[in-house]
Amino acid sequence: MLRYYISFLVLLRVAFGFAQDQPIATQPIDTQPKDTVIYKQSYGIRVGLDLSRILISSLDDNYTGLELVADYRLTEDLYIAAELGTENKTQQEDLYNFNTSGSYLKAGVDRNTYANWYGEQNLIFYGGRLGFSTFSNTLNNYQIFDTNRYWNPEGFATASETPEEFNGLTAAWIEAVLGTKVELFPNVYLGASVRLGFLFTDAEDGRFPILFVPGFNKVTWGSKFGLGYNYSISYFLPLYKKDKKVKKIEVETAE
Amino acid sequence: MKKFRSGILVFLYILGAASCEKDDICVEGNTPLMVIEFFDIDNPDTPKNVTTLRVVGQGQTVTVNTVADRAGLNKITVPLKTVGDTTSFLFISNSADNEDGFEIGNIDTVTFNYARLEEFKSRACGFIVNYEELAGSFQTDTENWIQDIEIIRSQISNADSTHVKILH
Repeated sequence: MLRYYISFLVLLRVAFGFAQDQPIATQPIDTQPKDTVIYKQSYGIRVGLDLSRILISSLDDNYTGLELVADYRLTEDLYIAAELGTENKTQQEDLYNFNTSGSYLKAGVDRNTYANWYGEQNLIFYGGRLGFSTFSNTLNNYQIFDTNRYWNPEGFATASETPEEFNGLTAAWIEAVLGTKVELFPNVYLGASVRLGFLFTDAEDGRFPILFVPGFNKVTWGSKFGLGYNYSISYFLPLYKKDKKVKKIEVETAE
Repeated sequence: MKKFRSGILVFLYILGAASCEKDDICVEGNTPLMVIEFFDIDNPDTPKNVTTLRVVGQGQTVTVNTVADRAGLNKITVPLKTVGDTTSFLFISNSADNEDGFEIGNIDTVTFNYARLEEFKSRACGFIVNYEELAGSFQTDTENWIQDIEIIRSQISNADSTHVKILH
């Protein structure tokens, strides 16, 4: 009798097993369950200083410059960015010496392209700026270029040693920016960027042309393009937090 | 991401191309020389050579470096001073030395007055000088070989055409 019961139980167990298998087989296993943990991202303003201009100011007697940088996070990957600065540079060319001093403002947007891992807030961005500068140019001294050495066998004749100032100059340009900002310590960012500028202002006009524009950098003769860069250290001030948008990942269906 | 990467490449290419600049050698311009032509006083349209012409800048000890010394010429180019509005030359015809080494040719002193116009040529060149309001005169002495000086072009911005006509 006992034997009968045991056999019956085994049979029953097997039958249950089959019965249990049935609903599992019809219902697919959810391999990507919804993540209920929402990661909030910080939004705020980042302000800082350009390190390169400070460093060059301390190393080069003929240059002083300061640049403040700032950006404000608008959306997931869009930032409003601006630079405000002042530069004073004296340059010695072959036959003349001149000084340019003035201040500038650049404003525009940056778009972050770096997909951060959880907890990261770094940027690799591209962007654009509109630049505007007001400055003055001073021609400190100059000599006359003349390849004939008859009247001046020793060198070029000095035309003036009296500084001549050209006041109230302005320049405007657009700039393409490529750069990065990396969080070194919590909320402290180290950044670097290169800039390609296109000058709107006619630099070769007038008695003495514009050869340097604060913020734009060197004006190349016969070209409207210019190159700039900065290395910034900045502090991020979080103002509010917002959910990170979850990107929908399309699951490839196996055939 | 692929688009962004090619975007970076294009950006870096333009960056590299834009940083190229012409060499820091002045090729855009130069302070021009003045061109003088010698004509026959009896036939003012016919060029006439000056026999063994020697040109010395006043106050200088060497002959002008743009004129072949003691050659028979009817066209010469001379440099003007870039500082000061006056340049004087000693024009010597039939130039020769005697046994003691003294000049025995006929020396006429010619003075040119002008206004200087400074012009910025390029970053490499800096300033050059062009001349305008050119005027010429010669000192009269007992036996001038130069009879008259005519200014054909009062502006000097290149040495392509004759600026001064000297009749002798």
